[in-house]
Amino acid sequence: MGLTVLIMVMMACAAVGTASISFRAALEGPGEQATVNPDYEILVNVRLPRILLACLVGAALACAGVVFQALLRNPLADPYILGISSGAGLGAMIAVVAGFSWTLWGRSPIAVFAFIGASGTVWLVWFVGRLTGRFHVTGLLLAGVVVNAFFSAVIMFITSIARADKVYDTIFWLMGYMTAEDFLTLWIGAGFVLSGILALFFIAPQLNALSLGPDNAVSMGVNVKKTRLIAFLVASAITAIAVSLSGLIGFVGLVVPHAVRLVFGPDHRQLLPLSAIVGAIFLIATDTLARVVIAPTELPVGVVTAIVGGPVFLVLLVKYSRQVGWMK
Amino acid sequence: MSGIIEVDNLSFAYTADREILKNISFRVDAGTFLAIAGPNGAGKSTLLNLLCGLLAPDSGTIKVDSMPVGSYSNEALAEKFAVVRQEPVPAFGFSVIEMVLMARTRYFGSMGFESRQDRQAVNEALEATDTAQFAARPLSSLSGGERQRVFIARALAQSSSILLLDEPTSFLDFKHQVAIYDLLKAAQLEKNKTIVTVTHDINLASQYCDQILLLGADGSYYTGNTRTVLSADRIRKVFDVEIFEGKIGQERFFIPLGKSTRERGQSDNKKSQSPHL
Repeated sequence: MGLTVLIMVMMACAAVGTASISFRAALEGPGEQATVNPDYEILVNVRLPRILLACLVGAALACAGVVFQALLRNPLADPYILGISSGAGLGAMIAVVAGFSWTLWGRSPIAVFAFIGASGTVWLVWFVGRLTGRFHVTGLLLAGVVVNAFFSAVIMFITSIARADKVYDTIFWLMGYMTAEDFLTLWIGAGFVLSGILALFFIAPQLNALSLGPDNAVSMGVNVKKTRLIAFLVASAITAIAVSLSGLIGFVGLVVPHAVRLVFGPDHRQLLPLSAIVGAIFLIATDTLARVVIAPTELPVGVVTAIVGGPVFLVLLVKYSRQVGWMK
Repeated sequence: MSGIIEVDNLSFAYTADREILKNISFRVDAGTFLAIAGPNGAGKSTLLNLLCGLLAPDSGTIKVDSMPVGSYSNEALAEKFAVVRQEPVPAFGFSVIEMVLMARTRYFGSMGFESRQDRQAVNEALEATDTAQFAARPLSSLSGGERQRVFIARALAQSSSILLLDEPTSFLDFKHQVAIYDLLKAAQLEKNKTIVTVTHDINLASQYCDQILLLGADGSYYTGNTRTVLSADRIRKVFDVEIFEGKIGQERFFIPLGKSTRERGQSDNKKSQSPHL
């Protein structure tokens, strides 16, 4: 059911854009060498890759949000809570200010450095969190918050000493920045993200048990260490991939899990797949808005996710929280 | 006959300078109901966590079915023990049945879904605890007594041979305290569970529990048949409080006396001792 809605949204959004195109014309194929079929070009090489990218990133962020909320037993958690965002931001900043111009497998240095920054931060936070011992989760959270603050300060430091035109590039990236990616990048990204989400499905029952706290989960025969390690690694990895593909898109990872939980309940066995689908739909729709609202210019998609998502979420919150009692 | 739980010379300390449990030995026979009582800080909850393997003893051994607790895998241990800690409320708004079903997590198939046996175990646990009527409601909408019954249902659904409980009646009124103990007694007698509960309620323990382990704050302890272990003198000593002992038939009851009651009692005694007034 959910998948059908997703495909319908994808098709609808493919039809919307600055230039009006017709599917029928596009279906006639790429055209001869001399006379390029513009409808086909726009649909297949401009809009479709971007929609697939939004689908991927939305699903990844929403699932990572679900997992971080379960892992930390904290409704305020999102994919960026352990400092991934600032790590990636710092990486991107360094790439821009240093003025690198090479590419790696077709990826710009911004994306490569963002990925390195994100993964490095995750490793650092995990390492520091482990040193804090038995109260692992509190240690992780504190380490994440502090690392986040520290890297944000470094980003602001670089911003204040760097040349304005260079900083401008990164600011767009920090607000969430989607472009039409080539298909190779998309397939590789999709491969990693989808297998990550699939891996998360397998630990969904254990994530349910973890909501009672690690001691109770252990007493129910759940392997808490293994569950936490898988959840942490996979959620961090798909977040890092999403961030390196599209910059820092906020709000999806926080709000989609809550919205789905409010409407459909907290059981992770359905929360995860539904969040993946809703996250994908939400980001495709908001990215389409970002493309067309002030066309031919574009808004950063991160701005639209918050402006659209905020009110929608508040309505859901008021409507459902009385029945669900989600905070207790 | 060897007990289902055998604790031998157990010692444990969180920090090196203060040993919370010292050289404790006791035995729990299969199918019996043991109360662990004692003042705050005597190590009751610590002992519970040692029993279920969450903490490891510094010295001494804890055996379950003749094997040291540490030698069991986490999953095998969950077959021996189900634990009801104080207020184990899940982080998100799970419904009663979803929460009880969590106890079956380790039995789920590889796709993460419950089997018919799992659903049957959950339904039996809900029936046994009289919680089936609010199975679909979120946990947060229940009263304290209802919630405690759901926690016990979760423990029953785990199909373990032993139930460990940490002060299951601490927030409940008289009616619900009795209801919880009736429920536990039924689980002991009808489902042949071994039950170990930490409690502050000496009187409920003396009514329902076959055995008691009385832990003193100074490291002393008394264990054995509830009737023989409990006496006014002993409770006075262990809890450091004045105790009134009363009897209904064979059943003895212990009531702690407050300062004002004691003073009034003393002046009444004086009056009766001085006939010229």
